[in-house]
Amino acid sequence: MTHWIPIFAILLASALGAQAIDRTKPPETPPLAAYKLPPVAESTLANGLRVVMVEDRRFPLVTLRLAFSAGSKFDPTETSGLAETVSALLREGTSKRTSRQIAEELASLGANLNTTVSADNLVIGASVLAENAPKLLDLVADLARNASFPEDEIKLRKQNREQELIDARSRAETLAEEKFAALVYGSHPYGRILPTAESIARIDRAALVSYRDRLLVPNNAVLILIGALPPKDQALKLAASKFGDWAKKPLPTPPAAKFPEPKRTLVLVDRPGSVQADIRAGQIAVTRTNPDYFPLVVGNSILGGGSSSRMFLSIREEKGFAYDAHTELLPNKDASMFAAVTQVRNEVIGDAMETLLGELEGMGQAHVKAQELTDVKNYLNGTFVIRMETQNGLANQLSMTRTMGLPESYLEMYVTRIRSVEPEQIRNAAKKYFTPGDATIVVVGDAQKLAKPLEKFGAVIVEKSKP
Amino acid sequence: MNTKTLALALATAATLAAADLKIPIERYTLKNGMRIVLSADNSAPVVAVYVIFGVGARSEEKGRTGFAHLFEHMMFQGSENAPKGVLDKLVEGNGGMLNGSTHPDFTDYFEVLPSNKLPVALWLEADRMRGLKITKENLDNQREAVKQERRLRMDNQPYVTAIIDNWPMLAYRNWGNSHSLIGSFEDLNAATVDDVARFFKTFYAPNNAVMVVAGDIQAAEAKKWIETYFADIPPQPQPKHPDLAEPAQTEARREVYKDKFAQVPAVVVGYTGTPKRRSPEYYAILMIDAILTGGESSRLYQGLVKGRQSAIQVEANLGWPFAGPADYREPAVYAINVVHKPNFTGAQLVAQVEEELGKLVKEGVPAAELERARTFLRAQRVGEMQSSYRRAGLLAQYELFDSNPDLVNTEMESLFAVTPAQVQAAAKKLFAPQRKNVLEIVPAPKAEGK
Repeated sequence: MTHWIPIFAILLASALGAQAIDRTKPPETPPLAAYKLPPVAESTLANGLRVVMVEDRRFPLVTLRLAFSAGSKFDPTETSGLAETVSALLREGTSKRTSRQIAEELASLGANLNTTVSADNLVIGASVLAENAPKLLDLVADLARNASFPEDEIKLRKQNREQELIDARSRAETLAEEKFAALVYGSHPYGRILPTAESIARIDRAALVSYRDRLLVPNNAVLILIGALPPKDQALKLAASKFGDWAKKPLPTPPAAKFPEPKRTLVLVDRPGSVQADIRAGQIAVTRTNPDYFPLVVGNSILGGGSSSRMFLSIREEKGFAYDAHTELLPNKDASMFAAVTQVRNEVIGDAMETLLGELEGMGQAHVKAQELTDVKNYLNGTFVIRMETQNGLANQLSMTRTMGLPESYLEMYVTRIRSVEPEQIRNAAKKYFTPGDATIVVVGDAQKLAKPLEKFGAVIVEKSKP
Repeated sequence: MNTKTLALALATAATLAAADLKIPIERYTLKNGMRIVLSADNSAPVVAVYVIFGVGARSEEKGRTGFAHLFEHMMFQGSENAPKGVLDKLVEGNGGMLNGSTHPDFTDYFEVLPSNKLPVALWLEADRMRGLKITKENLDNQREAVKQERRLRMDNQPYVTAIIDNWPMLAYRNWGNSHSLIGSFEDLNAATVDDVARFFKTFYAPNNAVMVVAGDIQAAEAKKWIETYFADIPPQPQPKHPDLAEPAQTEARREVYKDKFAQVPAVVVGYTGTPKRRSPEYYAILMIDAILTGGESSRLYQGLVKGRQSAIQVEANLGWPFAGPADYREPAVYAINVVHKPNFTGAQLVAQVEEELGKLVKEGVPAAELERARTFLRAQRVGEMQSSYRRAGLLAQYELFDSNPDLVNTEMESLFAVTPAQVQAAAKKLFAPQRKNVLEIVPAPKAEGK
């Protein structure tokens, strides 16, 4: 009986070839395949450093992350910008290498290295030609453990950062993001997305060294290695040889997760001469471990996740108010921030605000449509798989899950959890997090043109933009 | 000089590069002249479809600046069997992403999807190539979207207007090169439905297109879908390429732009008369660029940001700001953009840049530094080959411009063959004082901003 299966397959194939395909309809395709995470090997060294390894031999490349739970939330208020200054200066000199030696060594190894700081984490990220992976590991260990913060490098960094901040604040979107985070997160450090020039000026070498010694420690870190690695035990031995004798330390307590209650607020940041109004409306929301999180992710995507989202279709395609209309859900470890974002021409500010708030409200009223829900689940599922195609994509996800304290199954389960979200859960989440009545609204633009038409949306607090 | 050792060292480097990566390529042409490149890699369940047309903003006519880009927007407004909204909905609803972009010499459209959804993208691309739905309503709507895009990305931003509108006017003399690629509101308003239809017929024919399908595919099956959907789309007469020739520049030019939004000064220094794509001199300039700006060990970073502590940020490209090595087509400018501290003048920065360029012209490049630049470029290439989207994009550009997608596998050898003497000779020719263009962007107090 086995023979007729291949015959059947051949018949089918020839039918497909011979038949005049109906070009007026999109082709039928199978449902998305189940996502399978590649095997992840995880160990912990005696000093608490977690080592995560994934074998990937597609390219002669190794990608690395050394991620610390040491983000800007640990910055003292008076020296905000401390974490980012530590991060920027890690590559500017160690007890063994000068800044220039580090730069030249990286280029010679075929390595690309970045250090980044978010609210929760400080991450050294790099990729390197596979044959040079051991040398890169040696270099990264040196940066993390022996950064020496030379005085002349500190001075240069502070000077340049001052100019970068002036430049950043000459952009409307920065002003909107900054004001919005400050209102949503209140006095919690999550509310400071950029330091001030004054706080940068107060940072000195002692503060940098102390930050390094308290937070850049092995039991606060995870090392991720992806790529054409040596066999697992050898790779682990290599990691241990570079990081094994690094002393473990007690860790400082992060700031308490206390945030203000959401409250309808409307702030207009005056940027004279702006030809557009940058709008940002939203509120504080839950973290990845809360049961509301996945309904929120799906709802967020239906509302503003792509070019078939509700906001894109109404604000851009139907009304032509804006080029960009989207939503963001930015999950920090202790709270996330939801925002609906668009930039509209000055003349339509009133209509655009009404449309935007109407879309927010609509999510909490009727159930999302079945097709809309299926499409968005596919979108989130597919784009997740696409993001995982590169070593960087996988490294970022592994680094995120490990530093955010998420269960090891998080990535493997991500698609399943997206798929299981029900319309009622989305409506409930929308009522909690998309409510116009609780929304913090920030508009950045020319106050002379915008203040009046905004009045019908509540008391407008006008603030000056400080360059 | 011990040439034998040198040759041996070069051979080793080239062999290493070749061993790095071999991107599989299958290349053929449909009977209507549409060029297809397939590149299978079944290691990740992702596929990229990349369609590229041989028309860009440099093909625009006077009175229609910004039209190529406006047209690109129209490609997302519905086609014969996929009315407005269906394209986005089908791609995203099947787990994919899509976009398009307009460049000086080409316009591209892509979808990246989970691999079992490939036929959906092929159907959509074929449907809009076969018959675009062009209506007045959609045109009016996209005109507004493009104006909003201009406000968002240019008119409300520091630097961008100076770079996109003023820089080409300073550096080029041929209108085809110097006009605004995003266009004026006046010209956008003047565009008609007839213009759109004519542009579509002239430039969006299958024989003016290349399609790459890269990633997790079964070649036989993919070919069948491609044949079914694309092969009988009628070809059109090959469009003429615009005459973009530039007169040789005979004296340096300089302009000061007062920027109403910039708070930190910047300066662009660029040199015209760049060589033919894929010529030995072209490869020499790519090495020069790596030496000058490739990573933090590069000369301009070390010389300006670190050494003189005058610059905050330095970037450069052959074809900056619109193109890079992969889509470079002469004539273009090799331009260096420096954001600098306010306690230095633009003129001082230009002098510092020239000092660094002069050093390269006079003293050339030590072998070790050239080797470092090679490694930098090789690592960069291996890194970008990871994503099927990026692979597809490069293959498409190499097929369109060079009729040789295999360059993705072989061009490193041409780069590695560049000798220190060639670097020095190319630098000497390129960085001639009479080919220099300088655009100083200075923060303007609000009242006098233009």
